[in-house]
Amino acid sequence: MNIFKKLYQYRELLKTSIKKDIGGKYKKSFFGILWSFINPLLQITVYAIIFPLIMRNSIENYTVFMVCGLIPWSFFTNVINRGSFVMIENGNIIKKVYFPREILPISLVTSEAVTFVISSIIILGFVLGYGMGLTVYVAFYPLLLLAQYIMQIGFALIVSSITVYFRDLQHFIGVFLQLLFYATPIVYSIDTIPGQFRWILKLNPMTYIIEGYRNIFYYQQMPNLLQIFAVIVFGIIITIIGYFIFNKLQKRFAEEL
Amino acid sequence: MQDSEDRIIVEHVYKTFNVYLDKANSIKEKVLFWKRNKKEKREVLKDINLTIKNGEAVALIGVNGSGKSTLLKLMTKIIYPNKGKITTVGKLTSLLELGAGFHQDFSGRENIYFNASIFGLTKKEIDKRLDNIIEFSELGSYIDNPVRTYSSGMFMRLAFSVAINVDADILLVDEILSVGDQHFQEKCLNKMKELKKEGKTMVFVTHSLGSAKLLCDRAVWLDKGVIRMDGDTKEVINEYLKETT
Repeated sequence: MNIFKKLYQYRELLKTSIKKDIGGKYKKSFFGILWSFINPLLQITVYAIIFPLIMRNSIENYTVFMVCGLIPWSFFTNVINRGSFVMIENGNIIKKVYFPREILPISLVTSEAVTFVISSIIILGFVLGYGMGLTVYVAFYPLLLLAQYIMQIGFALIVSSITVYFRDLQHFIGVFLQLLFYATPIVYSIDTIPGQFRWILKLNPMTYIIEGYRNIFYYQQMPNLLQIFAVIVFGIIITIIGYFIFNKLQKRFAEEL
Repeated sequence: MQDSEDRIIVEHVYKTFNVYLDKANSIKEKVLFWKRNKKEKREVLKDINLTIKNGEAVALIGVNGSGKSTLLKLMTKIIYPNKGKITTVGKLTSLLELGAGFHQDFSGRENIYFNASIFGLTKKEIDKRLDNIIEFSELGSYIDNPVRTYSSGMFMRLAFSVAINVDADILLVDEILSVGDQHFQEKCLNKMKELKKEGKTMVFVTHSLGSAKLLCDRAVWLDKGVIRMDGDTKEVINEYLKETT
């Protein structure tokens, strides 16, 4: 495949733009990389206060339960949100230099993946802090990360190329992600949802990802491998579709930006 | 037909741009003002055929809007033709704008890596060229300061040094030989001559007919999207001057 050869040739660009993305984000701010922790921690604090108040639930160690969903969810939303901006943000370079445009969404997803791995320390912190301990099932973490990563590469390819032609998508994405937040078992557990609505959750691939993380960290049991592999297959299909869309649309990027 | 000596082959290339007189960027505008969304097709290049051989230095000349920069952009694959085909053989570097991809908060040294990687160099290749680049830029100890503290001259010098040291087979240059002070300009010009001697293929878009005569042995005169004349630099420039003055 041509694309892999191209990416290999431009591997240094991939590397430096990931580095630039991670390093550049905090370079000027006083707290630096600490923001990777402060931001989600503030969010967790707010949710941990509000949701137990408005929802009657009997989930043990609710904060840990929620954190296991919230951190991977942030990874997902960051990719989709930033993915819709990434071409416009880099319009200047796109108009001036040739390089494989796929580099931009791929490096975005990768740098967000690094941020996600760093902020997974928060999950560990809560799990250990609540005295739940760790089990060998944590070994499935890389598999879950891989599944989520592949799927998000596909989504990033799609949203990043379409927004160049259709800027409204950015706003639709904002609304859509807010709705999807409630259609994903992040602050509640699947079995509290009435049977007739469960199909919505089951169609949502993020459900299986979050269930996976929850299994290894919170329930400390074997994750459902069949579901994870289904997500991987889904991710590969989305990535292939995304690549075709991207390839078709990228030819006129420099003109449309 | 492709010859092993050919570096750039442009075959029957057409390029049209959609010029939106009043572009609707959102659904709201599209729905409310659908009548307003007028599009005008502007043909910028018409049936261009051009073959550039290895080791040639070609100047593209013409008045503003004649399509020279568009042709150059097509060669770099930043944009694609509507019809026709462009083939390039070998590693290609374009100096359309200096310092694309520079990040203000990173040091000059780090930016060398960013910028050179956009041209498709690997870490090893950059490491090998790093000293040359820094030396050519004459930045000395400033190289480890953040780029935002640079003067515009220093910025351009660094950017040019990176681009010129990429070691490409084909160099596409758009009107940038006005970098830095007199001394640095001469240095750039000498470097270009040196590259030409090494047998690199170069295409310049320029309004400076003086430097075109100095560097190029062939000139292509574009007029309203068609090739008006193609041949020896001096002859083409003479004809061009007759027409425009």
